[in-house]
Amino acid sequence: MGIEVKNLKKSFDNKTIIDDISFKVDDGRILSIVGFSGSGKSTVLKLISGLLEKDSGEIITSGGDVAMVFQYSALFDSLNVFDNISFALQERKDLRNKYTRKELEKIVAEKLELVGLSGIEEKFPSELSGGMQKRVSFARAIVTEPKIILYDEPTAGLDPISSTLIEDYIVRLKNETNAASIVVTHQMSTIRRTSDSVLMLYNGKVVFEGTPDELCLENTDYTKQFVNATIDGPMKMN
Amino acid sequence: MKIYYQNTYTYKFLKLIAHQVKDFLSTLGDIIIYGLEFLKGLKHFNTTPKDIIEQCSRFAVSSLPITLTIVCMTSIIISMQVAEEMVKHGGGNFIGMLMAILTVREEGAIMSGFAIISMIGSSLASEIATMKVTEQIDAISVLKVNPVHYLFTPRIIAGTIMMPFVVILASTLGIIGGAIAANITSELPYKAYFDSVWFGLSLKDLYVCILKSISFGFAITLISCCCGLIAKDGAKGVGIATTKAVVWSFVSIVIIDLIFATAFFY
Ligand SMILES: Nc1ncnc2c1ncn2[C@@H]1O[C@H](COP(=O)(O)OP(=O)(O)OP(=O)(O)O)[C@@H](O)[C@H]1O
Ligand SMILES: [Mg+2]
Repeated sequence: MGIEVKNLKKSFDNKTIIDDISFKVDDGRILSIVGFSGSGKSTVLKLISGLLEKDSGEIITSGGDVAMVFQYSALFDSLNVFDNISFALQERKDLRNKYTRKELEKIVAEKLELVGLSGIEEKFPSELSGGMQKRVSFARAIVTEPKIILYDEPTAGLDPISSTLIEDYIVRLKNETNAASIVVTHQMSTIRRTSDSVLMLYNGKVVFEGTPDELCLENTDYTKQFVNATIDGPMKMN
Repeated sequence: MKIYYQNTYTYKFLKLIAHQVKDFLSTLGDIIIYGLEFLKGLKHFNTTPKDIIEQCSRFAVSSLPITLTIVCMTSIIISMQVAEEMVKHGGGNFIGMLMAILTVREEGAIMSGFAIISMIGSSLASEIATMKVTEQIDAISVLKVNPVHYLFTPRIIAGTIMMPFVVILASTLGIIGGAIAANITSELPYKAYFDSVWFGLSLKDLYVCILKSISFGFAITLISCCCGLIAKDGAKGVGIATTKAVVWSFVSIVIIDLIFATAFFY
């Protein structure tokens, strides 16, 4: 059943950031969340992953782990790629001591293969390019076989070709794990290449929900403004 | 005419004070909460000896030479200042005793503490604060590992183990430095100095010194780790966290020192 969010609300210091949001993502589906900087996209992901406490509403998941890929990869810079990827298996209370070193090496090699980076176990994050760091952080996120994967702007700051590569890996991980995925993005290309549906947020509310095609075709003020990237429109930067 | 009270200096001043008090209380609360969390984490201890040794080497390699220099120099300076006067007034035989009491009971521990804070405490705080603002701590949490247990345990254990060694070594060097200074400035024989060292010292002094340095090590590492973990807002936040760690550690060891002095010697 993936993940279902009902009437989610969250405010910081009396300022409502998420105001009554509901949506649903099934297993093996990818939802994109778009919206202005500051519209609360990262906050939604943090609420789902449990990094933030919700004020009210419901977040129903089918159980299992929630994985999150961070906007700037957030790799542990004092650990090498091997320790980064196997971090949860080595340190988590219920998983540590479960695997031998040999098994860990096998799992890490598998995950690295999945993101197309075989053989870089001994490297440190600072020795990798931004795109490679992103992919290593994908591998780290899926190491516990999560049922839900959250991506926070996975293609931000990458060139178009690396972006396409990353987008393909997002789809590949979905196929491999059959997880429900949520991708926060600003890029139309990412939405088109990866997503089954799109959610647009503005001022903490959902202003559009539909497929990527509908986003382009639908003629509401919000979608027109987003697709054409115009300053004039209902959404105001402040 | 309407008076906007928000624009008055009194209001701004009071607001600033209120802000500082709030910040103080919330930091104190965080330190207590994380301290308890750390203690809870000791139950399912997962830190490998390798992690602890790695943290210990921070003390031994990167800060020991400077710590020893600071303590030794302080003792030399004090000895230089008092030796001449004491010899002049017939108290030459008590210089060793004075230096021993001073170094073992107070100066060794407190000066080492200051040195360790400025080198280890600040680096712990900035390291963890950087992890916080680059979302590495969030990444740890999402992977369902407790960041307090994972990050604090090896660091605090290393601090608590290493501090007594550092302090004892520094104090010993301090006493020796004092002897050399007294010998050079007022020609006090080494034998006279070291004979009197034992008048001043008892086993209790040693125990208290060890106990006190353990408390220092614990307080410095706990506070520094906490201040790192509560950092926010990017590079500026790392700076603020580091400053906070240093200030809070300074104040804490002075308070601990006062408590020990009152409890054991007064
Ligand atoms: N921990 C927090 N405390 C206070 N305010 C916060 C906190 N986290 C987020 N906010 C506020 O919530 C709003 C939404 O933040 P969020 O990071 O979710 O936006 P976003 O849509 O992800 O933006 P971007 O596209 O820039 O990443 C912002 O105005 C931010 O100031
Ligand atoms: Mg964001």
